[in-house]
Amino acid sequence: MSRLRARVAAVAPPIIWGALFLVAWERFVVWRNIKPFVLPQPSRIWDQWKINKTGILATAKATGANALWGLVIGALLAVALALVAQRFRVMRELIAPLSAAANTMPIVALGPIFYNIFGTTSLTARRMVVALVVFFPVFVNMLKGLTQVDPVHEELMASYAASPLQILRQVRLPNALPFLLTGLRIGASLAVIAAVVVEYFGGLQNGLGSRVTSAMKQSATAKAWAYIAAACILGLLFYLSALIIEWIVMPWQRRRSQAR
Amino acid sequence: MSGPAAVECRGVCKIFNQGKPNQVDALIDVDLTVEAGEFVSLIGPSGCGKSTLLRVVADLLPPSGGSIAVNGKTARQARLDFDYGMAFQQAGLFEWRKVIKNIELPMELRGWDRSKRSARSREMLELVKLPEFGDNYPWELSGGMQQRIAIARALAVDPPLLLMDEPFGALDEMTREHMQAELTRICASTHKTVVFVTHSIPEAVYLSNRVVVMSPRPGRITTVINVDLGERSEDTREDGEFFKKITEVREALRGGELGATARGIEDR
Repeated sequence: MSRLRARVAAVAPPIIWGALFLVAWERFVVWRNIKPFVLPQPSRIWDQWKINKTGILATAKATGANALWGLVIGALLAVALALVAQRFRVMRELIAPLSAAANTMPIVALGPIFYNIFGTTSLTARRMVVALVVFFPVFVNMLKGLTQVDPVHEELMASYAASPLQILRQVRLPNALPFLLTGLRIGASLAVIAAVVVEYFGGLQNGLGSRVTSAMKQSATAKAWAYIAAACILGLLFYLSALIIEWIVMPWQRRRSQAR
Repeated sequence: MSGPAAVECRGVCKIFNQGKPNQVDALIDVDLTVEAGEFVSLIGPSGCGKSTLLRVVADLLPPSGGSIAVNGKTARQARLDFDYGMAFQQAGLFEWRKVIKNIELPMELRGWDRSKRSARSREMLELVKLPEFGDNYPWELSGGMQQRIAIARALAVDPPLLLMDEPFGALDEMTREHMQAELTRICASTHKTVVFVTHSIPEAVYLSNRVVVMSPRPGRITTVINVDLGERSEDTREDGEFFKKITEVREALRGGELGATARGIEDR
């Protein structure tokens, strides 16, 4: 009973504040007489949501697929390169500063260039952009987890005459897991953002981002907002999935978070 | 006991950053023999090289000179043969492994099969008197309990020699005395040879057959004190002979510091 009450106590405030915010928004638009093509009321956005339900679902699927493909490819690449960088000092010294420099680059801005390379009708360009965006947080975190090993664990494994492969399996990989999941959590949110924004630059008209720009061109602002809301929900879904994966693959953290 | 000595150091030197301005003579010309079955403590102020000496014996650090034999083999061969178990100031348990799996790690690395591992780890949990905690994660245990698990892990593959680097240094006084009593019990029942680094004088006297007093800059052995207090019990701590030995070790430490007060040494 008390656990249920604690759950409710945790969930209630954001819901109440969210509802209050929507009501205030609705009232504010009416009160200030703001034109609907500047800022539509939430009720109008909701109407547009209902009208475009099938379109929203289809485009969310397309954008979601791009985000997922990019996320998986980017994360796999990041983990593989982090393993290489951990094993070979030369690679570490080469990749680490390179990735730090590349991380400051607005990767989504490469969208038009990738469309030019891979063709505007291919999905490759979009997925490449997502993969690149995801790569950096995952790579940096994974490498940190692989290399920042407790010195006591290192001495202990040396005292067991453990091979580098045994040390990797028994110490480095499990040590890197929470780091990897932090990287994935960041990457999951970024993947959706990148997948939506890269559609703003053109290409196929099958995604959430393309519908936002086309709706805005027609001054159908409420419709654009409906698609933006869908993008928010998609981002939340990705983030929550990352949290669930974290809960599944780190059983030793589970009881701990409950004990807190 | 006959056979080779458990540890035999002859003229061991360890110099860090040799030839550079920040050169440190961590160990100079150390001779030390530890017979099988002995409990020997290394004591001295910070920087006297006691931990370095332990790591050179463990083959975790290469010596700069001299020779080391462990069970009649080179230190390296002894390490490859799992001839010693090691415990550190931090328990160093793996947080992603349950307690029982922590104890089984050295057995896994030696390739023991599952049934042999689980039988042995249960036995080890009994030995350190924590049989009901096998399925807990390390963070669910207190510091003293974690350290007992670390000792169980060090003993898991039944090495003849235990190398311990201030294993009780992070524990509170009550827990510490309890752990000392437990360690003497465990060593008596398993007939281990122990080399034990500490900076606590009563701890060294209570546990050891011999206390090796070291001094810093350069790190070397100054005195070796034999302790013969018979079988240890809680009464040992009240014994007149116990206090006499404590005084003897303390004076040796002061002598080693050439008049200066020994720093980093606990009098408790």
